[in-house]
Amino acid sequence: MATLSDSAGGVGGGGGGGGRAGAELMVPQFHLKALHAILAVRAPRPLSAAAPSPAASIRRRDRWFHLPLHAPPPPPAAEHLPEPSAAEPLVVDVYLTPSGGGGTEEVVERWTVSCEPWPAGARASSSAAAGEGLAVNRAYKRCITLLRSVYTALRILPAYRVFRQLCASGQSYNYEMGFRVGSFAAPFTRAEEKAMSTRRFAPVETQLGRLVVSVQYLPSLAAFNLEICSLAPAMLITDYVGSPAADPMRAFPASLTAASSSAPAFPPRRPNSWASPAPWPQSPVQQAKFSPPPAALYASPTPSPPTFGGGYLQSRLGAETAPMVIPGGGRGPVHNRHMSDPVRGFMLPPPSPKNTNGNRPDGTEVHDTPTETGRMVLRMADLYANLPSVPKIKDSRDEYGRFSGVFSSSGSPRLGFSRSSSRLSMQDDTDDLDFPFAVDDVDPPDSRPGSSGGKDVGDQASSSSHKSQDAAVGYLVHMLKSARPLRDSSNSPHTSRVESVEGSTTSSFMSRRTSDAFEELESFKEIKENLLARSRSRMQESLDKSLRHS
Amino acid sequence: MNCETCQLKELELEQDEIKDVLRCILHTIFFHRTLTLVRPKDVDCDLFEITYVQCGLPDLEKEVDEKINQFIAWVEKHPNRRSQVCLSFFEDKNKNPSWFTNKTERIYWEQWFINLHVASPKGHGKSRSSKATSIGGKALEEARSKRAALGLLIQEVLFQIINFANEKKDHIPAISDRIFNHEISIPSSSDSVFGWNVDVLRRVLNS
Repeated sequence: MATLSDSAGGVGGGGGGGGRAGAELMVPQFHLKALHAILAVRAPRPLSAAAPSPAASIRRRDRWFHLPLHAPPPPPAAEHLPEPSAAEPLVVDVYLTPSGGGGTEEVVERWTVSCEPWPAGARASSSAAAGEGLAVNRAYKRCITLLRSVYTALRILPAYRVFRQLCASGQSYNYEMGFRVGSFAAPFTRAEEKAMSTRRFAPVETQLGRLVVSVQYLPSLAAFNLEICSLAPAMLITDYVGSPAADPMRAFPASLTAASSSAPAFPPRRPNSWASPAPWPQSPVQQAKFSPPPAALYASPTPSPPTFGGGYLQSRLGAETAPMVIPGGGRGPVHNRHMSDPVRGFMLPPPSPKNTNGNRPDGTEVHDTPTETGRMVLRMADLYANLPSVPKIKDSRDEYGRFSGVFSSSGSPRLGFSRSSSRLSMQDDTDDLDFPFAVDDVDPPDSRPGSSGGKDVGDQASSSSHKSQDAAVGYLVHMLKSARPLRDSSNSPHTSRVESVEGSTTSSFMSRRTSDAFEELESFKEIKENLLARSRSRMQESLDKSLRHS
Repeated sequence: MNCETCQLKELELEQDEIKDVLRCILHTIFFHRTLTLVRPKDVDCDLFEITYVQCGLPDLEKEVDEKINQFIAWVEKHPNRRSQVCLSFFEDKNKNPSWFTNKTERIYWEQWFINLHVASPKGHGKSRSSKATSIGGKALEEARSKRAALGLLIQEVLFQIINFANEKKDHIPAISDRIFNHEISIPSSSDSVFGWNVDVLRRVLNS
């Protein structure tokens, strides 16, 4: 790792303009880091239980001030906040408000990070001269200590315990915690001011001014009387696999289902009752808070991006619109982003070509073409893709401190720094920065904890709940995979290639009669009955449980 | 280089609370004074509603735990005494290097004194020997409130560390690739009544 050393009188190029350039970069980064540190432990959301392993690599931009924020990382909302400016103070209000809305928001903490510029007329004064002459790396070192103090204080103050309680899974409380970020805030009333305690951290002198961090907080939050509202409500899932509302038979080509009764329309979106462990199930009212539509399954906790500017921005957790809305149904807990796309967990291989050259009920032959096969594959994919229709889930890398929306495109400090020298070498081009350290980029996210591609998490999550439905689906998949092909490859010019690949195995399936198709239909009906029966028993069990608990 | 010293507020605690308290305080100090890249790790105290931050350095955690165990062993032999644990940061410098000698001298640049008064469990025995269960319940209530008060005091000590660490920064040496040289001193058997290490006293007087 690069070293920083204090050379008396400033480093080469560290004084004057070069030092100022460093300070102009460092101060906004400090603002940003402080903001993310605050939001990481003041924006309640389900937190990953797994701590990052020591071997997990740290991104380059996370190394600012030698303090990666990964446990816990800042919330996704932080990525959409405008990058703080060195010229404007950063004010973060943390408030508590009664759940369900309708109550007033009471600020329990107010963090202020600002760089107080040196007085213009005092350039000749000792303090201004000291600021100009200060080595930027000395200021950087002090910023490291200051940030450590902020990090520590965030965990000592009373709001941290509330944050932890609200993050607990499976419980909803009578209060919610939210935050507001802006460059100014409405001043407290006299009564509020009196009730608050203030802590002011020792400022750091930089060439731009004095970097000051302070916090006003309520010394005790006992008055809020945090209570659990309700435990996870029992969910009645009406369109489980095998139910009339989700008849898998609909997904298959008409040739197979010709004799079947008309099934109700397959819902385009339905709750994925087995894939989501729902770490934070909530009351329906709170669902509206934390997931935009009540039908959202995986709701990003990201609030709507606040408008940029000096206005008082409100970034309340669980705002009405979220950048990433995952339509679903029923349950809308805030969901861990690391959860994989549950579709992946049930990724089906394309079904084997099926010979549909059987006879329809009216006696006409049914010829399966590649188009038909492709359609069937699509329908089957549709069957499972309609379960949690999850848009692209961000790479887990984003969770661990990648604030691509906030940082500049280069993402790194702009000042070069030589490892072998204690002096800063300033570069004023747009190359990647090394200041104040010259380290390589980190490994791919797969090597990082909690970033095993999400698939393992998804598999784990799916296996941890609703196993019987998983088994049912797996059984169905097995049946489909082992079903005989329906395609009549001899009558289709497009299947010549497939025919050559399959060779003699397809010859036995060349002719398919209607009776074969009906046999298959019967077997599928049996599967359906089996699944229905299992689902009924499961429903009964869950009802009994909910009755017992109530 | 001046050696900055910080005397932390005295804490009155019981033997079973030593580990939690010392871990919390020592790691908080290390977190502020380990300026290299760290992997912060939030740790909840077992007995108090306090979360402190560790640097995420396994060797350091091991060293701290070993010293705490040694201190606990000392306390068991010297119950109901005021004692001090001292965390010192130093630099090794060559003292009068010559052809024949290559002595290095430790130059201490910062010392933290953790003042503890470990109450002996026997001191509370009289109240526990009372017959009525209501008094047992009272003792429990008393113990709870005492622990809560100690928790608040620990928080004050942590803020004390924060304030000192931020106010005194000029004396900190240049950041290196590893944590600063340090030592954790605990009372030894030959120490005085107050459990002060003679060497520590000498250093304090010389600074």
